[in-house]
Amino acid sequence: MDQLANYMPILAPIAIIQLILLITAIIDLVRIERTNGPKWLWALIILFINIIGPILYFVIGRRSN
Amino acid sequence: MSQWLTLLQKETLEMWRNFKWIWVPITFILLGVKEPLTSYYMPQILDAVGGLPEGAVIQIPTPSAAEVLITGLGQYTTLGVLIIVLTTMGIIASERKSGVAAMILVKPVSFQSFVTAKWAGSALLMWISFFIGYLATWYYTGFLFEWIPFDQFLQTYFFYALWLTVILTITVFCSAALMSPGIAGFISLAAAIVISLVSNTLSNWFEWSPAQLTAYANEVLIGQGISDHSLPAGILAVVCIIVLLSLSVLIFRKKELAA
Amino acid sequence: MSLIQISGLKKQFQGTEVIKGLDFSLDKGKCIALLGPNGAGKTTTLRMLSGLMNPTEGKITFTEAKKGEDIRGLIGYLPQFPVFYDWMTGLEFLSYVGRLAGLSAKEAKERSLELLELVGILDAKNRKTAKYSGGMKQRLGIAQALIHRPQLIMLDEPVSALDPIGRREVLDLLEGLKKETTILFSTHILSDAEEVCDEILFLHNGKIVESGTMTELRERHQQAKIDLFFRGKAVQYAHFLETHEVTQSVMLEGNRVSIFVKDIAIARRAFLQAIAEQNWPLEKFEVSSMTLEDVFMKVVRK
Repeated sequence: MDQLANYMPILAPIAIIQLILLITAIIDLVRIERTNGPKWLWALIILFINIIGPILYFVIGRRSN
Repeated sequence: MSQWLTLLQKETLEMWRNFKWIWVPITFILLGVKEPLTSYYMPQILDAVGGLPEGAVIQIPTPSAAEVLITGLGQYTTLGVLIIVLTTMGIIASERKSGVAAMILVKPVSFQSFVTAKWAGSALLMWISFFIGYLATWYYTGFLFEWIPFDQFLQTYFFYALWLTVILTITVFCSAALMSPGIAGFISLAAAIVISLVSNTLSNWFEWSPAQLTAYANEVLIGQGISDHSLPAGILAVVCIIVLLSLSVLIFRKKELAA
Repeated sequence: MSLIQISGLKKQFQGTEVIKGLDFSLDKGKCIALLGPNGAGKTTTLRMLSGLMNPTEGKITFTEAKKGEDIRGLIGYLPQFPVFYDWMTGLEFLSYVGRLAGLSAKEAKERSLELLELVGILDAKNRKTAKYSGGMKQRLGIAQALIHRPQLIMLDEPVSALDPIGRREVLDLLEGLKKETTILFSTHILSDAEEVCDEILFLHNGKIVESGTMTELRERHQQAKIDLFFRGKAVQYAHFLETHEVTQSVMLEGNRVSIFVKDIAIARRAFLQAIAEQNWPLEKFEVSSMTLEDVFMKVVRK
């Protein structure tokens, strides 16, 4: 526990921006008309693959026009 | 000028609407910060993972701050480049493919402004994202290891950003010259890899190659000072950017918008 | 007063000539239909006039353009399938295009609202264009073509993709626009051209095969015509009619034969006689003059 308290100031900001990334990906997924591949699959990828999931979604999952 | 700003404003607004202003900087932070964190916590991580035979003692020499920062920067020239290319490859090609470029260019819009505003928009995103990401990496490295002087941070930022801008401009050029975003991305990546590989393996012959800028930046970090070759390499990088952009405009103007 | 002059306009695609030399001029304030079957070269012609394609040969001259002026500023163009940035709202897109065409931010917004009202989609001004229906996109497309008050607007098949109600509305809109600007629109539907336009350019296989005002065309092609309607297919009677000395040409369509004749009195007598003698199963005998559709068909079949 002691150690965890030491890590907090270092790791908390990282955890927060990860969370922001995840939330924006989810918001975008909900709003977007169509994605490359099924939406539910992207939802799973975003939620369960840490960090890489949301980035993957933004890079290849989004489809415009 | 006002038309150019209108075009640029549209680019930046689009990047808000599709959240690029959020996810690209965050990705760049995570990409770089990973390095100081994992280096610092490596002993604990190995400990927690366990599985080492009883009594085995692993000696991991603590890396220097410069080494950590250099490895962190390495992420930007690999995965960072991948993200830059993937997010930029469709910038012109996909607008032409969908036909929306034709809707815009039947208005009295200069082709030069159209291409350069797009370039400026994506360059702005890259510069800002890379700055935030590298700043975070620098901060974590200083916090966990040793502080690297801030002016060295700025110098190395500038060198790396210049090389990344060359790659971004190659991507914009391919996007203007080719109809398919996918092919544009593939060729840009291939070009970036070939230039890096050739310049690195034959570094004695290609001292002025823009790809060497990253090597000169690393020299700054390990305390060797600014290399004499960095000026010609930097000038060549700027020349490459200008030439590629002019070619993009030229080719784009020649191509017929309606297929 | 001519607004634009086209001379010797040609276009080749990979060696094949699609537009084979067009010469025409458009008069100011007129509504002109570019009429022709699919593949005649209508879209290619409009694209060249709008600057989206470079002609292989020929010249396009705007009478009123100053030297070195970007002619795109004088033209409004609506492609057959208008596309927008799907993340923009209708109002945003119009304002954006307006600013690109040189309006100030304030002017662009005011003009956009005015046009959204005119084309009847003011309610949807804050909706993303991704959510617009086909008819709404067509209207937004017309609005963007008008944003900078161009001297000439060119519309590529503006009503072809719409349902009957949408078509009616867009045609009425065009009717209203005629007062403000010169319109050139392409269509393959004759009745649309006939309804809205003063003048017609018939395009066929990359050439203008006929042109003029509606009345001119009717007068020029006024020709006696007899329509015979049979019970069942008309093809078996065509030979006799075709070879008759009074006949000029024959068109067959299902159970109908249209015969263009030199002299209506002789033809009537001769055909009625033949019908009676050979006991043809006739349902209707009609003497009429040529419609524009006949002109269209005749011109296309030449």
